[in-house]
Amino acid sequence: MRKLAIFVSVLAFLVPGRPWVAAQSQPQAPANSAEQQAFLREFNDACSQTQDAMLLTKDELKDLVRRCDALVPRLTKLDDTQRKVYKRRLEQCRGLFAYVLDTKKDSDK
Amino acid sequence: MLLCGIFLAVTMIQGQQVFLQAVPPEDQFGDVTLNQRVTPDNGPVVFNHWLHRSKFTCRVCHVDVGFAMMANGTGISAKTNQEGFYCGACHDGKRQFGNVTMFGSCRLDGVAKTDSTCSRCHLSSKTTRKYSYKEFTAKLPKARYGVDWMAAENTGMVKPIDIVEGISIPKERIRNRTELAIRPQVEWFTGIHFSHELHSKWNSCELCHPDIFPTQKDRPASITMYQIANGRFCGACHVKVAFPVNGCNQCHANGPRWVSGPGWVM
Repeated sequence: MRKLAIFVSVLAFLVPGRPWVAAQSQPQAPANSAEQQAFLREFNDACSQTQDAMLLTKDELKDLVRRCDALVPRLTKLDDTQRKVYKRRLEQCRGLFAYVLDTKKDSDK
Repeated sequence: MLLCGIFLAVTMIQGQQVFLQAVPPEDQFGDVTLNQRVTPDNGPVVFNHWLHRSKFTCRVCHVDVGFAMMANGTGISAKTNQEGFYCGACHDGKRQFGNVTMFGSCRLDGVAKTDSTCSRCHLSSKTTRKYSYKEFTAKLPKARYGVDWMAAENTGMVKPIDIVEGISIPKERIRNRTELAIRPQVEWFTGIHFSHELHSKWNSCELCHPDIFPTQKDRPASITMYQIANGRFCGACHVKVAFPVNGCNQCHANGPRWVSGPGWVM
């Protein structure tokens, strides 16, 4: 029995590719659940407009700030590292919309 | 009299901090040392900005990938790299840029993890850098301090990638780029013509606003050279990675008012 266990262990190490190790080392897909994919879709859609922020109206900017705020609680659905990355990206994106909105409000005064 | 002396001494010391900053050698300018979790086998990671900026815009790494603007401020670890974030976002052992396949950072599969792979980033006695600054930059145009990256891009010698598939949100370039004339705080010096167009070539709005440059009401009424030299405002990039602020005329193109024209150099 003991010999069999040793044989199986040795055989396992000789299997080419060692699939369990490879699986562990594969980079995780950025989104591996429906909730994560939905988060990323909304994030990409809202934050794709940062380059045009100066051309947006105040109402459009307010809406984008609101959409970013709505994404904050959904960060908890992400994996640890993904949450850290997207928390920062979301802060940058929301911060810019709020910045442009403030700038536009100031220039109206 | 004593008070005047103290005031003068403090001003001179501050002045030295502003204008006589020690700038590292060209090949080390912009290097970032990441010394988290250093072990006898894994020395600190010394990241070369000069190599990466020749391949990618600032925006890709500091917005899309999510690297902080401060050394050791991101929280990079072997785990985050293995999960495909931070260094691992590109260095995954698969992604290709041009004809080059990125080496995998911090891989666990026993294939990529060899001493030589680890030591490509983690400095040790076994480290031999694949790229040498001197050879890599030999043909690139030079500015007063190191490579003139803007000229290198304008002449097509470097072509920084701005969108990385699977990481970046495809966006158009900034369309509304206002130019700013910044008035000097002192009468004897000329102002700055700040070009949003030039700065947005490699950056995006959210990289600078609001973190580095907040709204008027959230920032001091004036920006001083002392603040810049200490890494705030323009100094967030220009003290550490982009050209250093030791030469006045790179921003104040016309120099002090008693000298006319852009030929002034300090």
